[in-house]
Amino acid sequence: MTFEPTPGQDTPKPRARRAWRRLVLLGAIIGPGLITANIDNDAGGIATYSIAGAQFGYALLWTLVPATVALIVVQEMAARMGVATGKGLAELIRERFGVVVTFWLMVGLFLTDMGNTTAEFAGWAASLELFGVSKYVSVPVAAMFVWVLVVKGTYRMFERVFLMICVVYFTYAIAAFMAKPDWVDVARQTVLPSFRFDSSYLSMTIGLVGTTIAPWMQFYLQAAIVEKGVTREQYWGSRIDVIAGSFMTDIVALFIMVVCGATLFPAGIRVDSAEQAAMALAPLAGEHASILFAIGLANASLFSACILPLATAFYICEAMGWEAGVDKTWRQTPEFMSLYTAFIVIGALIVMIPRMPLIPIMWVSQVINGVMLPFVLIFMLVLINDHELMRGWTNSRAQNWVAWATTVVMMALTLGLCVTAIRGS
Amino acid sequence: MSLFGHVFFSEVLKHSVFDAKGEVAGRFADVVVIRGEPLPKISFILIKRHGQLYQAPWDDVSIFSRRILSIQRAADSLEPYDRDDDLLLARDILDKQIVDVNGAKVVRVNDVRLEGHNGHAILSAVDVGIRGLLRRLGIERRTERVLTFFKFSLPWNLITWNYIQPLNPKLKTITLTIPRQMVAALHPADLAEIINQVSREEGATLFTDLDTKTAAETLSEVGPQRQAELIGGLDVERAADIIEEMPPDEASDVLGDLPTETAKDILERVEEDEAKDIQELLAYDEDTAGGLMTTAFIHYGPQTTVGEAIERFRTDAVAVESVYQIYLTRDDQELVGAVSLKELLLAQLSTTLGSIADLKPRTTSPETKQKAIAKLMAKYDLVALPIVDAARHLLGVVTIDDVITQFSASSGRRKRRGT
Repeated sequence: MTFEPTPGQDTPKPRARRAWRRLVLLGAIIGPGLITANIDNDAGGIATYSIAGAQFGYALLWTLVPATVALIVVQEMAARMGVATGKGLAELIRERFGVVVTFWLMVGLFLTDMGNTTAEFAGWAASLELFGVSKYVSVPVAAMFVWVLVVKGTYRMFERVFLMICVVYFTYAIAAFMAKPDWVDVARQTVLPSFRFDSSYLSMTIGLVGTTIAPWMQFYLQAAIVEKGVTREQYWGSRIDVIAGSFMTDIVALFIMVVCGATLFPAGIRVDSAEQAAMALAPLAGEHASILFAIGLANASLFSACILPLATAFYICEAMGWEAGVDKTWRQTPEFMSLYTAFIVIGALIVMIPRMPLIPIMWVSQVINGVMLPFVLIFMLVLINDHELMRGWTNSRAQNWVAWATTVVMMALTLGLCVTAIRGS
Repeated sequence: MSLFGHVFFSEVLKHSVFDAKGEVAGRFADVVVIRGEPLPKISFILIKRHGQLYQAPWDDVSIFSRRILSIQRAADSLEPYDRDDDLLLARDILDKQIVDVNGAKVVRVNDVRLEGHNGHAILSAVDVGIRGLLRRLGIERRTERVLTFFKFSLPWNLITWNYIQPLNPKLKTITLTIPRQMVAALHPADLAEIINQVSREEGATLFTDLDTKTAAETLSEVGPQRQAELIGGLDVERAADIIEEMPPDEASDVLGDLPTETAKDILERVEEDEAKDIQELLAYDEDTAGGLMTTAFIHYGPQTTVGEAIERFRTDAVAVESVYQIYLTRDDQELVGAVSLKELLLAQLSTTLGSIADLKPRTTSPETKQKAIAKLMAKYDLVALPIVDAARHLLGVVTIDDVITQFSASSGRRKRRGT
């Protein structure tokens, strides 16, 4: 008789959560931390890293170091709260801060995730256009795929898709080597911070940190850990998972910035999207690097488009006390199905409407993201320092320091962006 | 008689409270709820003033309505409130999860309806619907007006307090006896679903309240990890009672997931025969016949008459989970035949079991893999398959429900015990 827990495989879980469990079952192998990390490097993230690399070379690489530390601290808090309380972050915020605060938080999350989903479809459309596929074909196909995958998908299917996806993230590593950067310079600029106080540098820094630490990630991560049923005894495993995931996020980010920093920056080419970066790479780093870059973008976009709408619909329902689950009928879970479908349909439609100003939409969604992050962090800090709730698992002094520092820095950066933007105009 | 009709808690929360002089005494912050007959009632209202909570007994409240809240005392004569163990409506009930016993599901409290009854304010119902949400956001009326214009109506979704089982341990102090009985009357599968939906601690609270029989049935229905947590969280005596109540095959599954020490402790307190059965089952791999089979089955000698068998069956079968066949054994061990219940009931009372039995029933060994068993059962249309050792000694029976569970369980149970 041995004791071998296999989390996430609880036998007759409620039907309402089967789809969610599928997502989480996938996590039973790779782990919520790694999945969160991979969704984090989505279309918006890749665009931000590309733009940063093209515009500032390696000058912003150093931001990845504090970003990784902050990411680990914040995500570890979410994971710990999930294990200690057995509840999702949305639930905890609702129970502690009431429905009004929760409602507005959810409205904000809805908007940013709407923007994110749109960005995923846009990234997907753009990367496939590089291969000559019209967006009027690729986007509806992807939207249908995402919808059906969740409704009809099986665990096996998810597993294969995910394994494939994990490998595809390495395309950026290969592309980085193909770009033949000066690795000594890369290493030096990663560890030695440099500061500049102009608005483009500031807003880029905010963009980088904002895309690395997004509010939805904490909700997703905590819910996934709760659903997996990780116990206090197994928590060390989750901690490793979270740390590994955070490193993966930022290592992929580093490679993307290196690709663009080694090729586009010295050539003086400025880009404002990931697909432009992919195109501009062809003459500088070779056709293969360009193709790898585009494949990476397509892959990341589609993967995030699969998980973001489902996760968001799920935790909004969790917060509002609505029943959730995709294998129920529309009549049984009207709110969940409407939300989930709205994300996919609206996201896909925005991308398909000709001359739709995508960049302002992304920009607004990023700003809401940045504005909401401090609030989410403050809520998390209040909750995690609640002794009654955490019972012995509250933050240590050092953890509180880093978490508060992150919150304050984020607030300062957001404020800085506003000031420079106003002065600039 | 300060509250007439009914008022929703969110409609008065944070409103100003006026004192006897007609001056603002502070803001209405919360109420203390105590047990009442037939429903919980308000004992104190709490007023926040300059960041400090003050209490006023319900008898001092003169008007309690949407428009005005007032007390019959001067603001400066109010006593400060500093107790910690009371049940507060806003703090402990609002926004928390509860079990809707009637609908057998977990819901979230959006609002609470207070009603005037014999001079008391009682908690009559919980709003779990969209109206409660909108009311909390302060836009119920407006939304309703807009929707009425489009010929839609806002649905009400109230659960009367009688049908509520709170999950918060604190709420137990005012829990009524009715919902407890109703919880026990819920189907164990529904209870298991509810336990799976709430946090570990809340699930444990609900589980601890169940009577032994319901607890045993519910435990069979929850996932393996939750099983271990629920049973591991109980004191050993009670855990042993519940384990004893379960069929041996399921009991061994549960114990197999517990740390060895805990399992041993529990097993020591289980009745000897039952403990022996469980111990034997624990030795088998979970994905084999040995791991799947139950050792609770009915067996008689081949010379037993039908009449005698039916008579004995009435008492013997009480403790057995499911019976499809009666097995014939020689020397109480060796399997020599099987009689289905239908055959038994159709036969003359005076005939012997040996003469109506299938003398070559399909059997398999305890090492047979679960997939192979499923194939066997499907091929020969079996609902029960006796498991025998090399000497054809009857060890146990795998029934169709064990095999079906294995398949629907998305391989969770199969892998569970490992080696």
